[in-house]
Amino acid sequence: MDFAELTTEPLDITSIARRVVPPECGATVTLDGYVRKFTKERETLYLVYEAYEPMAFKEMQKLIDEAKKQFEILNVGIVHRLGKLEIGETSVVISVAAPHRKAAFAACEWLIRELKRTVPIWKKEVYADGEEWIEGENL
Amino acid sequence: MQLRVLFFGATADIVGDREIRLAVPAERPVSAILHLLLMEHPILSRSKLLFALNQKYVTGDEIICDGDELAIFTAVSGG
Repeated sequence: MDFAELTTEPLDITSIARRVVPPECGATVTLDGYVRKFTKERETLYLVYEAYEPMAFKEMQKLIDEAKKQFEILNVGIVHRLGKLEIGETSVVISVAAPHRKAAFAACEWLIRELKRTVPIWKKEVYADGEEWIEGENL
Repeated sequence: MQLRVLFFGATADIVGDREIRLAVPAERPVSAILHLLLMEHPILSRSKLLFALNQKYVTGDEIICDGDELAIFTAVSGG
């Protein structure tokens, strides 16, 4: 089955990855995106994510539908965490199940790239000496 | 007519609110609403802004209807 979710709870990568597995598939590719401590030279203390939730669900569902058209894959799960995240904590998990791994790798890469471009979620970096909302690539 | 305007992240910080209600004349495009907001919050013009009307991306030319939900935000940065 496919799913797109937002949560403030810690993400359990293994259980998310298992939820996409059907008997027709032979491989699941899972992206575990987590909080980086250093961006260039600057040290991050923690991150805060927020979302325009109803629109974020719609945009994630669109990505799932589009990925299933473009790639030979069966199931997609996307879960993004919101709220305060510490260094090393998982912020996003994307799992793609496919009969064969090649399509799953390609679809997973496409999904994270498009998620970062289109899904209305924002990240605030909190540094030792200040904080800023990060602006992504323009749509 | 009435319009709800939502802000997130950087735009919410600049406006000092996450949601406002505006009474606007009929048949105005999204860009006219932005123009009103920029007069009150000129700092908004420092960032490239994106618009969503009723939870769909729009460019600015779309005409607002009574009860619409307009969201104004900077380029998204999830992941």
